[in-house]
Amino acid sequence: MIKGKVLIIDDEVEFAATLCQRLRLRGVDAVDIHSGTEGLASLGELGPDIVVLDLKMPDMNGLDILTEIKENHPAIQVIMLTGHGSVASGVRAMEKGAFDYIMKPVDLKELLAKMEQADQDIGGNGGQGGEADERDQRS
Amino acid sequence: MSLKHGWLARIMPSFSQDIEHGGDLEKEYRFFSRSLFAIILVLVLTPLMIISMLSHYQYRQLLQKKELAQIVLNVEQGESTIERFVSKLQSIIKFVGRDDRYQELLDPQALETLFSRLQREYPDFVDLEIIDARGISRSYVGPYQLKGREYGDQTWYRQVLLKGVYISTVFSGFRRVPHFVIAVSRRHPRQPGSWVLRVTIDGNTLQRYVDTIRTSSVDDIFLVDGDQKVLTRPQKYGLVGQHSAFAEAVESTSYDLSSIVAEHEVLLQQHIAITVKKIQGGERILHVAVDLKETPWRLVMVKELYMHGEAWFYFQLRLFSILFCCVVVAIFIILRLSNGITSYIRESDRKRQLFLAEAEHANKLASIGRLAAGVAHEINNPLSIINQKTGLVLDYFEMSGVFDHKEAMEEALDGIQKSVNRCKTITHRLLGFARHTEVESEEIDLNLLLEEVVAFLAKEATYNQICIDYALDQELERIVSDRGQLQQVLLNIVNNAIDAIGSNGRIILGSRQKDRGQVVVTIADNGGGMSREVQQRIFDPFFTTKETGKGTGLGLSITYGIVEKLGGTIRVESEVGAGTCFEITLPVGRGQAG
Repeated sequence: MIKGKVLIIDDEVEFAATLCQRLRLRGVDAVDIHSGTEGLASLGELGPDIVVLDLKMPDMNGLDILTEIKENHPAIQVIMLTGHGSVASGVRAMEKGAFDYIMKPVDLKELLAKMEQADQDIGGNGGQGGEADERDQRS
Repeated sequence: MSLKHGWLARIMPSFSQDIEHGGDLEKEYRFFSRSLFAIILVLVLTPLMIISMLSHYQYRQLLQKKELAQIVLNVEQGESTIERFVSKLQSIIKFVGRDDRYQELLDPQALETLFSRLQREYPDFVDLEIIDARGISRSYVGPYQLKGREYGDQTWYRQVLLKGVYISTVFSGFRRVPHFVIAVSRRHPRQPGSWVLRVTIDGNTLQRYVDTIRTSSVDDIFLVDGDQKVLTRPQKYGLVGQHSAFAEAVESTSYDLSSIVAEHEVLLQQHIAITVKKIQGGERILHVAVDLKETPWRLVMVKELYMHGEAWFYFQLRLFSILFCCVVVAIFIILRLSNGITSYIRESDRKRQLFLAEAEHANKLASIGRLAAGVAHEINNPLSIINQKTGLVLDYFEMSGVFDHKEAMEEALDGIQKSVNRCKTITHRLLGFARHTEVESEEIDLNLLLEEVVAFLAKEATYNQICIDYALDQELERIVSDRGQLQQVLLNIVNNAIDAIGSNGRIILGSRQKDRGQVVVTIADNGGGMSREVQQRIFDPFFTTKETGKGTGLGLSITYGIVEKLGGTIRVESEVGAGTCFEITLPVGRGQAG
């Protein structure tokens, strides 16, 4: 079971909303936002543990958002979504600090598995308590 | 000069034609080869011909000058010899017939004594005669009875009185033996008028003198008189007493002596006549004649022109033999050379055509790749939505209880998801085809890699009773390349081979060293093979012979792209009913990154 809060940032509204809905059906605390700038702006307010981030969005590049997230919120685990299917893009994202990447169209089981790993990773690094403390400090 | 517009462009094969016009191009190659042959031949033969003609002309001039100089020298020597002889005879006769000896010589005894003495020295003296001032023979010693004869009205007698000396031509007369006469007039010591001493000399004397000046450098020497009657015996041309063979001969006009004779201007002033005469049989003869001083004789020397001689014949034979050999050798070498150059150009053009075709193919692939990537990317998003939406509906179904047609609806949604997955495979492959990934290099043992790849497919091969054999070069050099991409290439081809065979067949995987720096991997199957048309399109994207839904038509396009990216080449040989063989050539060192 994924304990952390999940934020989905993807410009494809239908996709993000449906994915979010499906995650919620599985008991995951998930929120969806449909632009890069909005997503970045709401990080402080929402305080997600895991961000599922689209690599290509019209207003901002996914890799730039990733860089900012990692600079300002290093504890957040980011899973990159890519329609490119490019291993190189995924690898580049991981070099910049992404936890993992997954190709579109997304297989929910695979995504859930990666999220669980990320969630465990967070737990291993201090768990939700540590993250909660960070959120408290930010707020 | 620009190659496109110059004269060279007219003979060069125009490569602008494409492969379909190979027949026309072949004609142009032949035309080029012939033109090249002709041009080089002209370039080589022209100087050769000029040199030969110059040699021919120079040697002819040399021979002409030499033969003329030689005959002129001979004529001068001959003239001098005979004139000295005549002068000597005149001196002797003048000496023995001093003015005051008239009375003494009238005595037959005294004349006989003088004649005997003279004959001892000059046996050819035939007779001796004393003629008085009236022209009557007063004393005679010799084989005939001439005493008392009157010569007063004869031409020679008047001439001797006039000039002091008379030398006759050679004639036979009543004696019927060729002879000539020398007469000198002497002043009477006590009476007015002159007496004459007349000596008859055998014609053979003259013949002997002419024979002494005979030489091998001239063909004939003889004397003629003013009427061109031959006085001494010629060796080749004519007879004594007849008209000279050259008297009536036509003077040759085609043979110009003027330039050579000009060097002997002095001779011309001395009345030496040099002509070229054409005799019966067509031969041309150099004819030189000179009037001998104080005699009515003319010395004639003749010689066949150089062109009838051995020196000229052998010179021409050698010259034309050498020329002929040079021409034959030149033709042979130039033919080989022009054919060689044409072959080289033909081969270069062929390689260029292949290169252009490959570049065009690669360009086409790149364009299609870019288009495919765009399409795939755009399709991916709606696919993702469909995928999630169907997933969501299925999620709701799972949470709902049983309702009408639930099972049928679930099946339909499953179908949608399977189709989405199929689309996903296609878009992923399209993206894989188009993307430009970095080549990750590592050292690879190709033989091991082949075996690893086969391990993936071993089960499938076994199920289909397909036997996989190896023909590996155990000494094969290790190569530096991208392991993952090579695996993909080999998997693709071996997988295709299994599909092509279906069941019951054989695949042979081979490896060999091509040359230093290149290795070759071959994958041969004994499947159904491919027609030529299929072979030509096999690397095109979306081209597939598999049934709908089984193949995307991208596998071999991707394979082609990867092999190119790794710096290698891939080619296929196939025969319908016999099987197919893919041959991949890879560089041993790191291939170029794409």
